[in-house]
Amino acid sequence: MEESKNKEYQQELFDKLRKSTSLKKEEECFGCYMKPAAWWLLEKPNPKMSDLQKLISNNCPHFKKGPLPAKNTCSASIFDVVKKAAKEKKLVRFDCIANLHGFVYPIVQGDKLYGYIGACYSKKDVSAEVLDIFAAFTDAIVRETQKELELSKLYETIRPRAIALSTVHTVHRLISSTLDLAELLPRIARLSLQILRANRCSIKLVDAKRKLLLPKATVDLREKKVRLKKVKIGKWAPGKAFKQGRPIRGDDFLAIPLIDEDVIGVITMYDKIDKKPFTAFDQEIMSTLAEQAVIAIKNAQLYKEQEKLTMGSIKSLAKVLDTRAPGTYVPRASFLKIALAIGQEMRLTTNDLKSLEYAAILHDAGEIIVPDEVLTKPTKLTGKEYAIVKEHPAVGVEIIKHMKALKSATPIVLYHHEKYDGSGYPRGLKKDQIPLGARIMAVVSAFEAMVTKRPYRTIKSIEEAMEEIKNNAGTQFDPKVVDVFLKIMARKDIHLMMERELYGHQ
Amino acid sequence: MDINKIFQSEIHRKIVKFFHENQSSLDTPRGVATWIGEDRAKVKTALEDLVKARILIANRSTSTTGYSYTRDTRLISRIDKLLK
Repeated sequence: MEESKNKEYQQELFDKLRKSTSLKKEEECFGCYMKPAAWWLLEKPNPKMSDLQKLISNNCPHFKKGPLPAKNTCSASIFDVVKKAAKEKKLVRFDCIANLHGFVYPIVQGDKLYGYIGACYSKKDVSAEVLDIFAAFTDAIVRETQKELELSKLYETIRPRAIALSTVHTVHRLISSTLDLAELLPRIARLSLQILRANRCSIKLVDAKRKLLLPKATVDLREKKVRLKKVKIGKWAPGKAFKQGRPIRGDDFLAIPLIDEDVIGVITMYDKIDKKPFTAFDQEIMSTLAEQAVIAIKNAQLYKEQEKLTMGSIKSLAKVLDTRAPGTYVPRASFLKIALAIGQEMRLTTNDLKSLEYAAILHDAGEIIVPDEVLTKPTKLTGKEYAIVKEHPAVGVEIIKHMKALKSATPIVLYHHEKYDGSGYPRGLKKDQIPLGARIMAVVSAFEAMVTKRPYRTIKSIEEAMEEIKNNAGTQFDPKVVDVFLKIMARKDIHLMMERELYGHQ
Repeated sequence: MDINKIFQSEIHRKIVKFFHENQSSLDTPRGVATWIGEDRAKVKTALEDLVKARILIANRSTSTTGYSYTRDTRLISRIDKLLK
């Protein structure tokens, strides 16, 4: 192996030297001085006599014309010079049998000898000083050529790895930008298919209790109908990769375990588009991608857990508040859905939608300071009572601001009683001064108050409440939000859900 | 954009050549610009042209876009001939 690599290197080095313009110029320069000279490059560190004879006969005019015994004597004497140059690893000058002059320069790198540069048929005997200059120049040219060769070798070796590394980095950026597992897993599958040039990818996560791998995302780019199969641990390639905690590779499949502290699942690729078998390089790349995927999956799982915890705390708080006026603080699913649908339609970001969801549950948390008799008073509030009620948004913010996850919901809670024309509270903000989430919340909470039981007003029908919202567009409510609200309310699924929740219709 | 027309542009041709030679690559405009030694803004525009021409696939997220090579084997062999 080492020997064949050396041979390959030697061949490439001589190819480059033959094409080297610096070496050609040097030969021309010294050729003029030596009047003339036959130059030759001997590619072998340990040449045979026949190699040398062939080379000299091709280059030396005197050798070509001479009789055979003279040729033999000539090549034998130069052969001795070559051996001497090899042994001393430095330039050796000689006089040939025709009383002409020449030299042999060994091409050396470290302690390795690759071949020789030779010159003969020179009518002028060249001084040792000139030959020293020649040796120094040639040495520089050979070193430069060797460096060029090493650089190009390095480029050939490192570039594909650098490109692969850059690919892994890009994948990392693409999969780290989402914490939604439902979005993340298909994204990992699609990116893996792009990189491995495969047709199908399946990501399975473990259900440790049932000793099964459950399919979470399967993408087949051949538009084949995809069957989501559960796999028993230890069975088939994914099951084996999981059990053994190492990649399982066949010609048309590659299963890579997703390993965090334990194995959490398996990502399996099937059928390369060029129908070639999966390679060790594919396995290496896929293993690196799997490491990135595990981090992203774990982050998404943790985020989901965190979100569940936050939502659990919010719902508990709402439940506590609801004991004071049942049905007031635990929002019905349909109102949450309306608020989120408006937010989506108005292109709120995922984070803003989350804030809207939290605020939809806790926007009236501050009513905890409102005495029961005020809260349940069926008649008009006195000025003093109304002043207490108007404090509830600020108190709501005081309650929720200690939960970091709810911080982004505070502007919605604080300003959901502001009115579009500036006549609301607590600050009398107008139009776009009111955060969009709060403008949405204003419409949805007013609608909810109209269609559900409240001590201070009679229940309106869905249609009547929608009409009132519409009539107050531009004064109490943002007209754009009202338009979107009416559009959402026209949806059959929303209408049915609401009727089911409010009136128990099936 | 017609594929023959695409090959008349040096930067488009260089990008296609890069992805043809590195078919497993998935990279951002900055990465591609580095590999082919061209200006990032020009590369970004060219990458989108190539997406429209279905030579590249854009994998978009909120933070960045990763571009990868087409999976269409007929198109790949056509490009192979054009590059030769």
